[in-house]
Amino acid sequence: MSVAEAIVQTDKLTKRYAGGILAVDQVSFEVPAGTIFGFLGPNGAGKTTTIMMLTTLIKPTSGRAVVCGRDVVASPDLVRLDLGYVSQDVAVDENLTGWENLYLQARLYHLPAETLRPRIEELLKTVELDEHARRLVSTYSGGMRKRLDIAAGLIHRPRLLFLDEPTLGLDIQTRTRIWEYIRRLRDEHGLTVFLTTHYMEEADNLCDLVAIMDHGRIVALDSPAGLKARLGGDVITLEMGAPGPRDGLAESMRSLPMVKSAEQGSNGIVRLVTHDGDRAIPSVLEFLGSKGIRVSSVTLKRPSLDDVFLHFTGRQLRENDGGADYRRMAMAVRRARR
Amino acid sequence: MRSARAGGTTGRTLASDTWWICWRELKRLWRQRVRILMTIIQPVIWLTLMGNMFQRMASIPGFPARSYLDYMAPGVITMVTLFSGIFGGITIVWDRRFGYLQKLLAAPISRTAIVTGKMLAIAVQTAAQALIIFGLARAMGVGFAAGALGVPVLILLAVLLSQVFAGLSLTLGALLTSHEALMAVVNFLTMPLMFTSNAMMPLDMMPPWLARVALLNPLSYGINPMRALFLRGWEWAGLSRGVAVLAVTAVAMAALASAMFRRSIA
Repeated sequence: MSVAEAIVQTDKLTKRYAGGILAVDQVSFEVPAGTIFGFLGPNGAGKTTTIMMLTTLIKPTSGRAVVCGRDVVASPDLVRLDLGYVSQDVAVDENLTGWENLYLQARLYHLPAETLRPRIEELLKTVELDEHARRLVSTYSGGMRKRLDIAAGLIHRPRLLFLDEPTLGLDIQTRTRIWEYIRRLRDEHGLTVFLTTHYMEEADNLCDLVAIMDHGRIVALDSPAGLKARLGGDVITLEMGAPGPRDGLAESMRSLPMVKSAEQGSNGIVRLVTHDGDRAIPSVLEFLGSKGIRVSSVTLKRPSLDDVFLHFTGRQLRENDGGADYRRMAMAVRRARR
Repeated sequence: MRSARAGGTTGRTLASDTWWICWRELKRLWRQRVRILMTIIQPVIWLTLMGNMFQRMASIPGFPARSYLDYMAPGVITMVTLFSGIFGGITIVWDRRFGYLQKLLAAPISRTAIVTGKMLAIAVQTAAQALIIFGLARAMGVGFAAGALGVPVLILLAVLLSQVFAGLSLTLGALLTSHEALMAVVNFLTMPLMFTSNAMMPLDMMPPWLARVALLNPLSYGINPMRALFLRGWEWAGLSRGVAVLAVTAVAMAALASAMFRRSIA
């Protein structure tokens, strides 16, 4: 057990579909309460299958999952009361108004009549849809629909919110806004958010912890910074100005705090690998200053989550595969329905 | 704040979940009023067109009504009921396709309520349609031998019949997850169901094999007592048999639909 209470705990969770496909293979992990937990992986890695098991939508083939303190197989109804689920599909009813969508959701979660209306108003304000509440959802933009969908997932004040690709296909502004809601929910209500994403910057910006899934297994789980550090750390490259005493410079810098290794090239350029590059730079500069060495340029290169992903899965996390195509298809169907 | 309900779904949540699923369907239906309008215009066309076209059938010796219109009116009510019922299950395929079904399934509601809620909405829709068509038929001069008290019984028969086909359609909706396949099967079923019943033609005038098929067709059990109410008044034996057969079949279909649906999401 980790220090914080784990809100999701799995033990060798496995799902084998009827066709024999092993979608999730003995996955064991924990999500500490109050974190924003990111689930990364290429398409078909088993992310959605894992989420569907955790949200009680499908039963595991073997293994266990405890969500909000309850076993998902033994007491699915109790688990459902405590979690909100916002799927990849924008599952709002476009023949209802925004308000009606939330009202129906509130009724399906058996909210008492007296808490229901203030709760709906509050959520509509949170996702900035209060002015459009009485309009039919068919007149909403994609971003508005997604925001309504997220509000619906929060109607019963869940302890844990599952967001499957929350910003897929949305423009940058809407995406940033949705990130803000997610952060605020965590900070103000202590909500735990479990999200899957294709977008590296989303995971990097938003998540406290990131799990990388590939071929049905979790191949890495750490904070974004921790994952990057596993690739060796940040690289600081220093170019010196006026000539000065340089012999043994790299050796003497190895003893500096946070510096893991230091090398000096034949051109005099020093390359340092550090734990925490932005914090290491001032002490490095101070050290060089004390020796009377002028530095003409400093560059800091941190490994990106893309590098991390590539390292663990051997693949790039393509941003626009399958998912976007699926969305295009869904939109086409939706239009055809009108 | 959070309700601490213990155990599985109780009867009370089944009833309330059913109602809220039904509420959604009725709201949607109301928003697509054109759909309701079409289901009313269509029978009017049937009544006037078929009534005129087949008017001379009534003069065939042994034809059981004074005009074909009188004979057709309960047939048209049955037809509209059949359509409303059998196309009702299609919504479940859309819900599946647009991810709404998953959202419902992630909620702490009774699984059965998703089926019973949709069936209840179809019942309400059918009752309204049957009443409107009845009014229109009366306005066109169709007689109603059973009198005012016969109207609720007529509506009851229509509703029970709609439930049989709603159950069938939801069962198919659970088995066939593609909208196209479901439409094909439903379209394939409606016309044979219509023509192997006595909706348009009295049993005595059918070839014997068709008459036997008609006796197995649930539509006949709705239309016979309805027609009696229109043409001859209260015929208790046929009426009670019709209500009993339809009620049992409706419950069986609802149970089947619910079981198939549960299986499809397991």
